[in-house]
Amino acid sequence: MSESDQLIQAFDNRARRRDDRRQLFRMVLGAAAVGAGAFAFTNEAAAQSVTDNDVLNFALNLEYLEANFYYYAAFGTPIPTASIGTGGIPADSLPINAGAHVVPFTDRIVREHAREIAADELAHVNFLRSALGSAAVAQPQIDVGITPDGAFSTAARAAGFIGASSATAPTFFDPYANDLSFLYGAYIFEDVGVTAYKGSSSLLTNKTFLDAAAGILATEAYHAAIIRTTIDQLGAQPGLKAATVRDDTELVSNARDSLDGATDLDQGIAYVTSGAGPTSNIVPTDANALAFGRTAQQVLNIVYLNKAAVTAGGFFPNGVNGTIKSSANNA
Amino acid sequence: MIDHDTLLEVLELGEQRRAARRAFLKTAGIATMAAGGVSLLAACDANDDDQGTPPATTPPATPAPTASQNDVDILNFALNLEYLETNYYVSSVFGTPLNPQLRTGVGTQGDVIGGRAVTFTDPTIAAYAREIAADENQHVVFLRNQLGGAAIAMPQINIDGGANGAFTAAARSAGVIGPNETFDPYASDENWLLGGMLLSDVGVTAYKGSARLINSPTIVDQAAGILAVEAYHSGLLRTMLYRKGLNAPVLRVNAGKISDARDLLDGPIDLDQGITGDQGLPASTTASNIVPADSNAIVFGRTAAQVLNIAYLNRAAVTAGGFLPNGANGNIKTSANNA
Repeated sequence: MSESDQLIQAFDNRARRRDDRRQLFRMVLGAAAVGAGAFAFTNEAAAQSVTDNDVLNFALNLEYLEANFYYYAAFGTPIPTASIGTGGIPADSLPINAGAHVVPFTDRIVREHAREIAADELAHVNFLRSALGSAAVAQPQIDVGITPDGAFSTAARAAGFIGASSATAPTFFDPYANDLSFLYGAYIFEDVGVTAYKGSSSLLTNKTFLDAAAGILATEAYHAAIIRTTIDQLGAQPGLKAATVRDDTELVSNARDSLDGATDLDQGIAYVTSGAGPTSNIVPTDANALAFGRTAQQVLNIVYLNKAAVTAGGFFPNGVNGTIKSSANNA
Repeated sequence: MIDHDTLLEVLELGEQRRAARRAFLKTAGIATMAAGGVSLLAACDANDDDQGTPPATTPPATPAPTASQNDVDILNFALNLEYLETNYYVSSVFGTPLNPQLRTGVGTQGDVIGGRAVTFTDPTIAAYAREIAADENQHVVFLRNQLGGAAIAMPQINIDGGANGAFTAAARSAGVIGPNETFDPYASDENWLLGGMLLSDVGVTAYKGSARLINSPTIVDQAAGILAVEAYHSGLLRTMLYRKGLNAPVLRVNAGKISDARDLLDGPIDLDQGITGDQGLPASTTASNIVPADSNAIVFGRTAAQVLNIAYLNRAAVTAGGFLPNGANGNIKTSANNA
């Protein structure tokens, strides 16, 4: 095969993955974020009317969640109480989090990444709290534990990694068990943070906030790349459910996609083949090589682990704090 | 009010056209690969009737009124960087630079100096190179389509791996190599990662720095999507440098030197970081530093002028040099005066 044929086919295969998704767009009247010509895009949430504080507080809820997970994994404790606000609920005050623990890392590289991300996520919590001042929401109830009916187990069950019910062994998923389970746990919501910031960036009216949000978006994308690349380096190993670790990630992505509506806004890291050789999929993108965005409501579908319009569940047993708290109705 | 059914039909036609285009490309070869332009689509229509190609519904060739001159200038500035990145990655993977059909536009069209295929030894690195090449190529296509007739031509680009190449100049100033040595980013997996890191972090800071200057919320949304992809790319490259640096510490050292060199170019404020660091944690808890970010864990941004200091490899206010020997095309072309 000539070089030109190889190049064409490499692009071909990446395009084909996208074509599969395009079929789904027919089901969505809004056709959000699909280009129909120069500057004719609809951004994800243009119809919403929210304040900058609403958006930042929504993001703060997600940062509380991420920071607590990475803190437990890296250091064995939840984030410091000084960072959760007056009336905030410490993660370790909830019985559901009793099983969370420091990860017994064997790969020092993974451990060093966990520490880096933990520090970053706490910095995001502190930054957003500082930017919001007295308007900052306190930390809500967060489930980063390992109980059979908890959020991680529910998400892992949806992906087929554990028993089909909380009574079928293995009954629970422990994202703190080892290097790989930690990476899976991180993978379950790391890309979600990227799509949340991407989906809300154009809603911010204050340019200083937009500047900061763009910087946090980029940080979350770096984190997601760390997790996805590191998983990929272990990717040929047997998976928990699928033949390989790489294929397992597709199961998680499909589970997320089943929650957030008809558009496919998610991709695993399974390779695509081409005449030029295997091509990775570290970056989840649309046909224009732009990262996906989700509305706040779609993000809530995922963190509540519910495709219906609800106000609590999953990683936030009592819901998020702030004015944006209801998920989209995709049921 | 847009008629959604009509919109969906248009989109679907676009997809059929893409299928037709690919079939066309398979037979036409390198000269027409992956081009997104109107003329190519017209050619597909004429050549690929078996695909059921619909009547032409070509995208608008000029920006809608919502794109202010300010936003056009910013997108064109970004397009310069995408031309540069795309040529590096596409050359690395395939040994040939950007498709000539994707080089046309406003201003003086340049050539690509240097670039060659890397003989990758780690198959995962080869897979990453293919992915990034496809993404960057698509960014060029996307920005050109968005800008329509306002899109700039590709400027002269130096991605040469030889003694007179921009990479060697950058590596010498960084101290990665001696003053008489050559840095060839195409020579090995490791060199390719360093070359990619040199370019990719700059792309991230450029999009981050521009976000607040864009007028149109729609373009903010699009730029945010590209920013995130550039950050994924940069995160991928830095993660692999860190991982391979466990057994080859010189890689981590050299990544730090590249960062320091960029810092010397872009002015007195520290806007760059290598891949190791203590993150403010106790000394016993070593952490990586994949994310180049400030104390709030917010990724750095650079002004366009600062980005040009790095692209031109010059701390002074100049209009050409380094990776863009004849300067950037478009209205944003002068670097900052940090001399």
